[in-house]
Amino acid sequence: MQIYVCVKHVPDSAANIHMIDNRNIDDSVPFLMNPYDEHAVTEAAALKKQIPDSEIIAVCLGKKDAESTLRSALAMGADRGVLVETDDMCDSMTTARVLHAAIIRDGGADIILTGKESIDSEGMQTQFRIGALFDFPVVTNAASLEITNGKARVGCELAGGRTRTYELTLPCVIGAGRGLNTPIYPTFPDVVKSRKKPIETVARSQLNVSDAPGSAKIISMTPLVQKRNPRKIIGTPAEQAAEIIRILRQEAKVLS
Amino acid sequence: MKQAGIVIEMENGRVKETSLGMITLAGRTADSLTAMVMSGITDDITDHLSEYGVHTIVDLSLPDAPEIRRNPAVQATAVVHAARELKLDRILGLSSPEGKDLLPRVAALLDAPLIMDCVDADLKTGTATTSQYSGKMMAKIQLTGEILMFGVRPNAVLPESKPVPAKTIAMTMDAVVPENIILLSRDEADTEGRQSLAEADIIIAGGRGLKNKDNFSLIFDCAEKLNAAPAASRVAVDEGWVPYAFQVGQTGEKVSPQVYIACGISGSIQHFAGMKTAKMIIAVNKDENTAMMANCDYQVQGDLFAILPEIMRQL
Amino acid sequence: MTKKYDAIIIGAGVIGSPIAYELCKMGYKTLNVDKLPDAGEGSTAGSCAIVRAHYSTEDGVALAYEGFKYWLDWENYLDNVTDEKGLAKYMNTGSILIKSDGHDWRKVKKHYDAVGVKYEEWDLDTIKKHVPPIDLHKHWPVRRPEDPSFFDEPTEMLEGAIFCPEGGYVNDPALSAHNIMRAAEAKGGEFMFNAEVVDIRSENGRVKGITLKDGTQIDADIVVNVGGPHSFKINQMAEGVWEGCNIKTKSLRHEVMYCPSPEDYDYLNDGYHMSDGDIGCYVRPEVGNMFLIGSEDPECDPQEWVDPDQFYAGKGGPGRDNVLTDAQWKAQCYRLGKRIPSLKVPNQPKGVVDLYDCSDDWIPVYDKSDLPGFYMAIGTSGNQYKNAPVVGRMMAELIDACEKGLDHDKEPFHYEFKYTTRTLNVGFFSRKREINYDSSFSVNG
Repeated sequence: MQIYVCVKHVPDSAANIHMIDNRNIDDSVPFLMNPYDEHAVTEAAALKKQIPDSEIIAVCLGKKDAESTLRSALAMGADRGVLVETDDMCDSMTTARVLHAAIIRDGGADIILTGKESIDSEGMQTQFRIGALFDFPVVTNAASLEITNGKARVGCELAGGRTRTYELTLPCVIGAGRGLNTPIYPTFPDVVKSRKKPIETVARSQLNVSDAPGSAKIISMTPLVQKRNPRKIIGTPAEQAAEIIRILRQEAKVLS
Repeated sequence: MKQAGIVIEMENGRVKETSLGMITLAGRTADSLTAMVMSGITDDITDHLSEYGVHTIVDLSLPDAPEIRRNPAVQATAVVHAARELKLDRILGLSSPEGKDLLPRVAALLDAPLIMDCVDADLKTGTATTSQYSGKMMAKIQLTGEILMFGVRPNAVLPESKPVPAKTIAMTMDAVVPENIILLSRDEADTEGRQSLAEADIIIAGGRGLKNKDNFSLIFDCAEKLNAAPAASRVAVDEGWVPYAFQVGQTGEKVSPQVYIACGISGSIQHFAGMKTAKMIIAVNKDENTAMMANCDYQVQGDLFAILPEIMRQL
Repeated sequence: MTKKYDAIIIGAGVIGSPIAYELCKMGYKTLNVDKLPDAGEGSTAGSCAIVRAHYSTEDGVALAYEGFKYWLDWENYLDNVTDEKGLAKYMNTGSILIKSDGHDWRKVKKHYDAVGVKYEEWDLDTIKKHVPPIDLHKHWPVRRPEDPSFFDEPTEMLEGAIFCPEGGYVNDPALSAHNIMRAAEAKGGEFMFNAEVVDIRSENGRVKGITLKDGTQIDADIVVNVGGPHSFKINQMAEGVWEGCNIKTKSLRHEVMYCPSPEDYDYLNDGYHMSDGDIGCYVRPEVGNMFLIGSEDPECDPQEWVDPDQFYAGKGGPGRDNVLTDAQWKAQCYRLGKRIPSLKVPNQPKGVVDLYDCSDDWIPVYDKSDLPGFYMAIGTSGNQYKNAPVVGRMMAELIDACEKGLDHDKEPFHYEFKYTTRTLNVGFFSRKREINYDSSFSVNG
């Protein structure tokens, strides 16, 4: 089975994000693999265990530095990596087209795994667009995956502990959620071994991707700082509780 | 002319408040509003929608069989069909759990740009405001294309009444039942009747201060009394006190309720990333020197094991 | 109205609090001021709180061994005070010092003999028996993962280790400072928080008091600088003090990582504190069955000297601000991964970045200053947490002696240990000393 995993190189969620102008962030902060993509890679490694002779190919669209995220994917169990290099910020319509072209150029996919969203642009849609370009069925926020007889049975999480179960025919696209697995992180010997695995670099221009009929571009960005001035609620627990209830009723008007 | 189509979500046969808020948002910049309803139209629904400014109400006429009607791939096809038939050039839906599984499908089929989780949108200029970088930034985004799509964050805008006369139409469409994606079961829940995190007006969340799994039931009990959604910080999830689905934060759910009650949560940068857009934050903590206590609207220094039972007793 | 105190202590961390506690017990009326909201919230909170005896000087070993006794006797030391936050706990794990080219362990052993520290010599089999997942190949010299030879196969084996059964860590360093604050308060000490010192006032060649950012002036005949990473800035506020120090302090950025233990190893309950100069790391257990991985500052690692105010405000940029870096995360985790090959290293760094108040020779300055009435307990260089209670007592006695007329610069004060029988020439920690080349020039002191 050919398992493709799309991974994204994103700023560490703990980093202090600063702007360099009103559109771009200072990208000298640490970049890591998108956390949801870790679940996609881990699931790919589990599938390979289940279905021997499988090959896991990690694909990434990004700057040259994104190679380190592909290295992480290789250390976690991917067999090889493809980096489509670009310095441009790509929206999801373009990203999906590029990843689609890169996968076609590389071979045929039996299954494509992605994270359910990236923590930088938070678009939540690239997996659906890849699916549409291939005409593969798509599900997102997968919490369980079982493959038997060319079909994938996938449990997907909605909020509040609700789930939906789907049956997809392969090939298909699956957006991994946090509930899917516990990421399997590499040991130092895994890292040493993965250094020998190949990463192919392709320039985005080499893929001849046609322009999308629409676009989404950031025109300005501002740090979200919400200054709150705490007011103290004092008294006995009963008095404090009464005041909280009063606030919920009279100020926030969320309680009748 | 900006013809906006709005995907309506229902709950217990009524239009959700959060859907009405989205109608209000769309009505500010669109020339006409078309509501797309999936579950059949009643007079109540028509009255309700027209009261908030909807001009046209479309019954998407989905097939009756629940497993087909509820399949988001089927719903997406119906929305796409209606959008083309009615020449809609703006499509809005909620960035709710269901919306996250539907709107991107529609966008992919239409090959149209989509911004999810918008807190604001201008349908005339085609711009949207949404959070990026784990909620640390607010980005204003320009969309271009024939049809532009917006996933609106629930509760981003409160509904405002704006009565207009409305007409209803029914779509006719051959239900395309996809063979490659079958919905086997829907919304299986071990948390029957609980508020969804993304849409709740009140969220009551517990963290390290709850100390153990047994104590965490206090959060669930209190949530039930307040008709709030229970939630947890990452510590509580990592410790195994509650399932991941309840986690609010950078790697959990991002929420903007009217009120967020943080109980025994110190307030890491990652937790704030998931809830700092809440309209009001009430922090309950023994320790006054936590980030949550410093960045809230109401600071309740005290023992949550005394205060929460008091709230339940007094309600 | 200005309140008058006998002594103002700048800082309410794990060193500032016990100085106040001991001065109170001696009858002084003290006030601690701290710019943060509570005791121990500064660099104390970022401390690994390791309690171990190995230092590169005999006095260093002796002080640590004396300090150890305080942690064992914590409740008594605090005079059984109650703290609503609970009490910090000393966790005895035993301490393994790997014999390596990265430590002058022969010297440490000699000091152990001289001071009377209990220890065992372990061969490789013994180490393996106590730490099953360990690999005992020799990796020296310490390198960074950016260096391709970092990944070379090791061929030689280590020699063994020195094991001290007495050693471990304190589970909550901030809480330990808070405990001592409560103990000091019980003896009449006062604490003022969210109070930033902007000036040290002096008059007629003697310290007079401090001025806070909001303009408040507080007077005292004695002012003690225990400002941690801010110590050099405080010294610069006091007339002639900075200039009068031959040993200076600066703040050094330091990252400590938390990496999950291999699943089949209960490191939290079965693990040891270990100093491993061969890979430039020290480790101790952390809640959640984690390895806490500190760095012994190998030469190949960059040193970032930063402005403490910028740092704590999250400014200065990656590698200089208060966020972990991916490069250092990989360096420290992969180094430990050589020793514990089954260690799984997450992609996202998890840990603590904080500052050392680092002196020129990584040995602290516990001394008076050139401004009469102004004292300092600074330059702790990441290696003094364990000594905090004994340093509190020592500083209090030093201050008392100087105030009673002792010329400590001419006739250094000798501190008599309370638990072990030994006296320490406090002149060892003098600001006037020449750089002590016996030091390891690292967190090991």
